[in-house]
Amino acid sequence: MLNVNGNQFKLLERSLDAANLRQTVIANNIANADTPYFKRSDVQFEEVLRKAMDGSISKLEGRRTDPRHIHIGISGQEVKPAIVQDDSTVMNNNLNNVDIDMEMALLAKNQLRYNTIIQQVNHEITMSKIALEAR
Amino acid sequence: MRLTNSFDISASALTAQRLRMDVIASNVANAETTRAQLVNGEWVPYTRKLVVLEPKGQSSFADVLNGKMEGRAGEGVKVSRIYNDPAPYKQVYNPSHPDADENGYVQMPNVDILKEMADMISATRSYEANVTALNASKAMITKALEIGK
Repeated sequence: MLNVNGNQFKLLERSLDAANLRQTVIANNIANADTPYFKRSDVQFEEVLRKAMDGSISKLEGRRTDPRHIHIGISGQEVKPAIVQDDSTVMNNNLNNVDIDMEMALLAKNQLRYNTIIQQVNHEITMSKIALEAR
Repeated sequence: MRLTNSFDISASALTAQRLRMDVIASNVANAETTRAQLVNGEWVPYTRKLVVLEPKGQSSFADVLNGKMEGRAGEGVKVSRIYNDPAPYKQVYNPSHPDADENGYVQMPNVDILKEMADMISATRSYEANVTALNASKAMITKALEIGK
């Protein structure tokens, strides 16, 4: 499975995309911390991925005979990050719900997660390189 | 999705907070200004200015709809306008002032220094938070450039 085109690598790629998108969304939340009526957003990816992998999402899946067909059920290929808006809470008098401390914590967490994934990617590449050199 | 999207977002917030800071500085500087503009031959004191922040790229229905459909993150923040505080001017009894009326009262600006100071701290902290976010994004991209080294 030491293959930069393998499933493991694709998963890491997607995770990087999700972390990147989350960084953008958190930056937007922080930028709008003083904007009246603004509601914070978040990126859902890891939970969806976990559910898809441990099979708690229904296994019933529509068979697609054409790439334009609509997915029924969730297949591994279809797990992608989604932006969700949190409309349920109020933090300030101006109906804004950005908690700056929480956003900063999420920012740090996301950065660490990103660095971890990058290390994983580098590790994959190093392993492939080692495999290529064996003769 | 561009790699440097989050840079633009944080930068827009830095611009907005700096403008907010400029407006606060103007309010503090003009806290005692009794002759800001001439209206019908009478001097009117300085009026406190406030900024209105608004999410960027959400000015029309089409923008919002497209953003939602493509699953885009926001585009940052902007100052949509600067408006005058409608609060009444302060009346100060000072008969020797050249702008005093016949009863000896002078109209002073509706600027409250304490409010301005609190706003200033808020703007500074928001600015710092956005600088931190910008640095975090920069560190992430630098890290991504190390892939495969």
